[in-house]
Amino acid sequence: MPTPFTARYAGISATVFLAALALSGCVPKSTTVAGTGAATLGVDSSASACTVSAATARSGSLTFAVKNSGNQATEFYLLAADGKRVVGEVEDIGPGLTRNLVVDVSPGQYFTVCKPGLTGDGIGRTAFTVTE
Amino acid sequence: MIANLLIGLREGLEAALVVGILVAYLVKLQRRDVLPRLWLGIGFAVTLSLGLGALLTFGSYGLSFEAQELIGGSLSIAATALVTWMIFWMLRTARTLGSSLRHDVDSHLDGAGWGLVLVAFLAVGREGIETALFIWAAVQATGETTLPLLGASIGIILAVALGWLIYRGVVRINLGKFFAWTGFFLIIVAAGVLAYGVHDLQESGVLPGLHSLAFDVSGAIPPDSWYGTLLKGTVNFSPATTWLQAIVWCAYTIPVLFIFIRVIRRQHPITNAPADTEKLATTASQGA
Repeated sequence: MPTPFTARYAGISATVFLAALALSGCVPKSTTVAGTGAATLGVDSSASACTVSAATARSGSLTFAVKNSGNQATEFYLLAADGKRVVGEVEDIGPGLTRNLVVDVSPGQYFTVCKPGLTGDGIGRTAFTVTE
Repeated sequence: MIANLLIGLREGLEAALVVGILVAYLVKLQRRDVLPRLWLGIGFAVTLSLGLGALLTFGSYGLSFEAQELIGGSLSIAATALVTWMIFWMLRTARTLGSSLRHDVDSHLDGAGWGLVLVAFLAVGREGIETALFIWAAVQATGETTLPLLGASIGIILAVALGWLIYRGVVRINLGKFFAWTGFFLIIVAAGVLAYGVHDLQESGVLPGLHSLAFDVSGAIPPDSWYGTLLKGTVNFSPATTWLQAIVWCAYTIPVLFIFIRVIRRQHPITNAPADTEKLATTASQGA
């Protein structure tokens, strides 16, 4: 059984760890940072389609603003070139909501896909290219 | 609205149930004096989550996907460890309850009381940022429609109400059964949280095997159905479970349940059980 001391140490180290993680995980959302190519793309996830506002983007921090225009909860995925590995994902986008996926991407080939109803392989799988 | 309601319910349910059991536990131990600390821990978790969520939603910085999954994953694993400690600590405390060793309970709780506060903090804060981001997205949508926010709020209120019902339900059962049932339930919850954490780490690429599914029953139990929501919200049942999740779930549940049952058997031998529970129940009702 942990003594109050170990509980406190655990609490302190957990806080420090999370603070460090949160700081390192914070990335700029918009184009305000010059030279990094940070950009925002719009995604529309409906019952039958998954439309991304652009098919290419420059590498760096990308924000996908995913709007759910369908009537089921949806998810949006950015998949690696193999079409399997998840590079980024945003869950729990209820109908009518817009949620952001912020992800740091390196140049290469990717796929975007939406998952209305939260099951299966998803719909509207589209190639997405990231340039230097 | 229903879809947003179900998301709110799922996000809030597990935390509400764990808090409900924690409160029932402290009331059973006649240690209502620890309750303010518990509410403080919960309040801190809620404020911190909503604050960070607002900062990430309305500020110029977003939390990267990897960091979000890492936070969710590591907090889940920490929560499992703490809840497991709490279950066995509860059992130890139950043994001395109502006996002449009563002051031992009190002195134990002074140290461990903060441990319980940490459990409540983690139960609420574990997926707090994720839930806060969902809520703030619903708030942002109010320019166009207020239905998502209404749905999300009703869902979270429903979760809290269910937590309160669980509290009302378990606080009535006698002490011997109380520790056995809540302990058993918490082990299943903790196992689900652990498997969830593993999935988060698989998604962030820290652990492999995201696409090796042990089973996929999404067809029979759609995750956006009300029963899928309840299963996910209470025991973190995922209709599409990876092999690593299934293995970790079993590797945790089987030995922990085995030890748990052994400890309970030792504490409540069949022959002494009626007298024992009666004595404990009397003590509990005197203080209630």
